[in-house]
Amino acid sequence: MPGSSDFVYMDYAATTPLNSLVAERMRTVQNSACFNPASNHIAGRQSAKVVMQAATELGLLLNVSPDSILWTSGATESNNLAILGAARQRAHRGKHLITMRTEHKAVIDVFRALEKQGFEVSWLAPKPDGQLPVERLISTLRDDTQLVSIMHINNETGVIQDIAALGAACKERDVLFHVDGAQAAGKIPVDLAALPVDLYSLTAHKFYGPKGVGALFVANGTPLEPLMFGGGQQQRMRPGTLPVDLIAGLGVAAAVATTSIADDLAKLTGLKGRLLQGIQDIEGLQVNGPAKGGYPGILNVGVDDVDGESLLLAMEPLCVATGSACNSRSQEPSSVLRALGRTDRQAQSAIRFSLGRPTTAADIEMAISSYRHAVRKLRALAPERPA
Amino acid sequence: MNIDPYNAVVRAYFDCPEHMGDIGGGAVAFFEDQGMRIRLSAKVVDGKIKKLGFRAWGCPHVIAAAEAFCRQFEGRSVAELEEFKTSQIMGDLAVPVEKTGRILVLEDTVRSLRAAIQDRITNQAQD
Repeated sequence: MPGSSDFVYMDYAATTPLNSLVAERMRTVQNSACFNPASNHIAGRQSAKVVMQAATELGLLLNVSPDSILWTSGATESNNLAILGAARQRAHRGKHLITMRTEHKAVIDVFRALEKQGFEVSWLAPKPDGQLPVERLISTLRDDTQLVSIMHINNETGVIQDIAALGAACKERDVLFHVDGAQAAGKIPVDLAALPVDLYSLTAHKFYGPKGVGALFVANGTPLEPLMFGGGQQQRMRPGTLPVDLIAGLGVAAAVATTSIADDLAKLTGLKGRLLQGIQDIEGLQVNGPAKGGYPGILNVGVDDVDGESLLLAMEPLCVATGSACNSRSQEPSSVLRALGRTDRQAQSAIRFSLGRPTTAADIEMAISSYRHAVRKLRALAPERPA
Repeated sequence: MNIDPYNAVVRAYFDCPEHMGDIGGGAVAFFEDQGMRIRLSAKVVDGKIKKLGFRAWGCPHVIAAAEAFCRQFEGRSVAELEEFKTSQIMGDLAVPVEKTGRILVLEDTVRSLRAAIQDRITNQAQD
């Protein structure tokens, strides 16, 4: 990875480096076809072709029609458009919405905004392993429920939700189902032709594509109210001139993922297993998330009596995260870990190792030794409470 | 925007806390608040602080602040502990304002240490 000689990167759930094929394709497009794809001249049509190719590549990854894809600036925008757009569109039918307490801020804050606008939100708690039992969702659905939003893979713990079962429960009751797939798209097989999902958010930079571009899958006939106005692009659902080079990059990242997901998962499973094996004898170590299963690119652990922020500094030059990357500088303990039943102190000691395609066995050995050393050092520093 | 949340002093003190540990047989003070824990211990001879040690549970700024205190006050008189305020350490370590409460735990621990030293002096005089 470029620039990696100074550090060992293990924060792939926060973002991933550009794949070299992606960078190459983006450079080519920037030099030859970076025009307005909505223009009716040759240059515009060339750019439109690039966008169509990317939609086809993403469509293949998700097993959906290219026409069902809306381009956005990333998962945050996709989540906003899906949740606000669907809730407002169906507000005349009812104002009850359902999501989970362990969602990403890009979903939680949208629901908070809707609460202020008169919607009622049910915040479902997971089991201690992070899973949402489908019965818990079914018992919360009401006649006036309009939308359910559940994330596919949790960004902090790697828990994978049973999207098929949750979606089926929604479909039976004619409730729209949105899935935040930011951590799943390009990392695990996602077959949206088979899954009962109406809206699916993703972003390119989580699977080795560029930052600043994402997509929202909108199943045929799903009504949405646009958030922005000012042009006719993308069936008026998301106006604005498309960033052709970024979209081309997303397309190539999707094409690479389509062919490499199986190998990636096999490799990550082995690396995560070794990482856990290398630290699991540390006294008081807790795995935050599923003991078995879950996405193999994420391992979240905590130990008693160690501060997460100090742990992070003591482990440099290893780059890992405390809490989610978006709020790592915050002093607040992770709301996701609190929802799993962890105390503030336990949540504060949590470290998320997230592995990616470039992670090597040597990186894992370095992480094991670094984590063990940091815990030892901080425990030696900590005072006992007086008897 | 601060790209690095820790300045060079914090990094140096956190990496090599020379005063980490306990001073056996000395005065001891412990304080816990804001989720932080600090213990200070001191060896005092003829009204002078000969040795200081600390243990701390907390963020890097709290650990560095405890080390900074020990470096500043070793060799000084017990009376000078009266003057201790965290404001200078906050500046030296560029502690973010939202962590003020955490660093004030050090001020409380120093106050307890001063009281513990005075108690020992009083007890020794009575013996």
